[in-house]
Amino acid sequence: MANLKYLSPEWSEEARIRVKAELTPEKMHNLSSSMTNIYQNCPDGRTMYMFVEFTGGELTGFETGDGEPPRAEFKIIAEYETFAKITRAELGAVKALTSRKLTLRGNMAKALRLAPQVDKLNKVLATIPTDF
Amino acid sequence: MTNGNNGSDPYFVDTDKRIRDIQKLMQERDIDVYLGSRIRTMSFIVDAFVPWRSYIVIPAEGLPTLFTFVIDAARILSETWMDEDHVRAYFGAGGADQIESIQYFIDEELGIRKGRLGYETGMATYTAEGWMTHYEYEQFSAALPDLEFINAHDIVDLASLIKDEGTINRFRKASRIVDEGHEAARAAVENAGWKGMTETELAGIAALAMRKAGSVSEWNFAGLNEISSGWRTGLGACTPPTTKEFQAGEPLMFDLHAMFKLALGDHSHNYLLAPSTERQRWHADNFVACVDFVARSYRAGATPGGLITDLGNFAEDRGCSDFILPGVEHGIGLFGDEWRVGAGMDVPIPYWTDPDHVYRENEMVILAMQYAAPEDDIGFRYENPIVIEKGGCELTSKYPLAIEEIS
Repeated sequence: MANLKYLSPEWSEEARIRVKAELTPEKMHNLSSSMTNIYQNCPDGRTMYMFVEFTGGELTGFETGDGEPPRAEFKIIAEYETFAKITRAELGAVKALTSRKLTLRGNMAKALRLAPQVDKLNKVLATIPTDF
Repeated sequence: MTNGNNGSDPYFVDTDKRIRDIQKLMQERDIDVYLGSRIRTMSFIVDAFVPWRSYIVIPAEGLPTLFTFVIDAARILSETWMDEDHVRAYFGAGGADQIESIQYFIDEELGIRKGRLGYETGMATYTAEGWMTHYEYEQFSAALPDLEFINAHDIVDLASLIKDEGTINRFRKASRIVDEGHEAARAAVENAGWKGMTETELAGIAALAMRKAGSVSEWNFAGLNEISSGWRTGLGACTPPTTKEFQAGEPLMFDLHAMFKLALGDHSHNYLLAPSTERQRWHADNFVACVDFVARSYRAGATPGGLITDLGNFAEDRGCSDFILPGVEHGIGLFGDEWRVGAGMDVPIPYWTDPDHVYRENEMVILAMQYAAPEDDIGFRYENPIVIEKGGCELTSKYPLAIEEIS
């Protein structure tokens, strides 16, 4: 499979298919929540987003784009390069958070409990051949 | 999650009403949002033990939201009536620290960007009061630049001044627990049990008895259970226990603390270890008479200034006024509320008890008296949470007022 451009419509569709196939409701502990990543200073200068939503553990929303993102329970804001480093496993998410490279908006207590599920999501996304 | 607080429970407290009372006062003062930081504010609203630095955001309408240190958020959620959306955590992470998480919540989730913010500042003798710090004030006011910050802690103080039935019942239960501690303490020291025993050991014996009876804490502010013996009984009103051993012929003072559903048990009882001297007995009889006089003087309509004046005259008549430390009470409420009497900000000496405060029915204070004759190596303390009644007061600890000689 050829590499897909990070956050492109093709990458987004591939991500949606893989996440839906691999993250079953059981694996996601029937989670209902949503998250938007805001990518600042993308290579083309734009701000982009990635929106992910689970309902009862099932993937019910996955999209990338620019402009106003869908409203989500959690919002994570960072430089594009920071997200790219996390996806490439060059930077740990916790380290990024505690060094203020990531900004979290939402209920921190709940976010911490959901962290293992987010890790599962990131591991699936990391399997997509990607050009950053 | 629920904390088991329901209307059929004798310990039921109406947190909805508490919030409505606070919001009514906020609306009267055009306060759009209240940012509480004191422990007493958390106890009153969250109805759970909130020991770590926390903040509660109360909008003029709707439910409050707690922000607490992330390590304790799940535990509090398991004990409070508040739901997951209203028990939040802060953490040293981007967007998640105390300042940013609350600023974002007020700005974006509540949508309050302009107006007046009530907060809590002042001073106290109580170290762990929880006033907003100078740094916090600077950071919050910079993060919320279009909100005018108004010191409004008296809103919560006023709302919590008159105790509801469930709260009073909690205090009654806490006092019953303390009474069990005193029973155990007495059993431990009588019949020569005191020989070789230290103050700290006695404190632990009493603590175990109270824990068995349902107490969850000896509340650590003043050193847990305060035990003194011999010359240490004359040192004043704070005696965290030491490794000093009890000795024959000494006075003993056991000031035991319990906590039940955030209500504080606080009762002191005194003994003379045989053989006592005539002078010791004279001091003891003076003290018992003075405590009894004050206990019979409390009623709705009385004032702290009036009580202390009357006690001074009574002690003068007995010739013991030199030994009575000034004061007959301290304020009491749920955990974190343990200092001044009353709620008003407009008092002669800010953040101290207003001597002209007029007691009302169902207010509570600790009847607190201290007798110190250091030249005779003797002193006594009495504390008992009381409920002000129309024509008197209810002593919630039922341990008999007396200073017995034990051997």
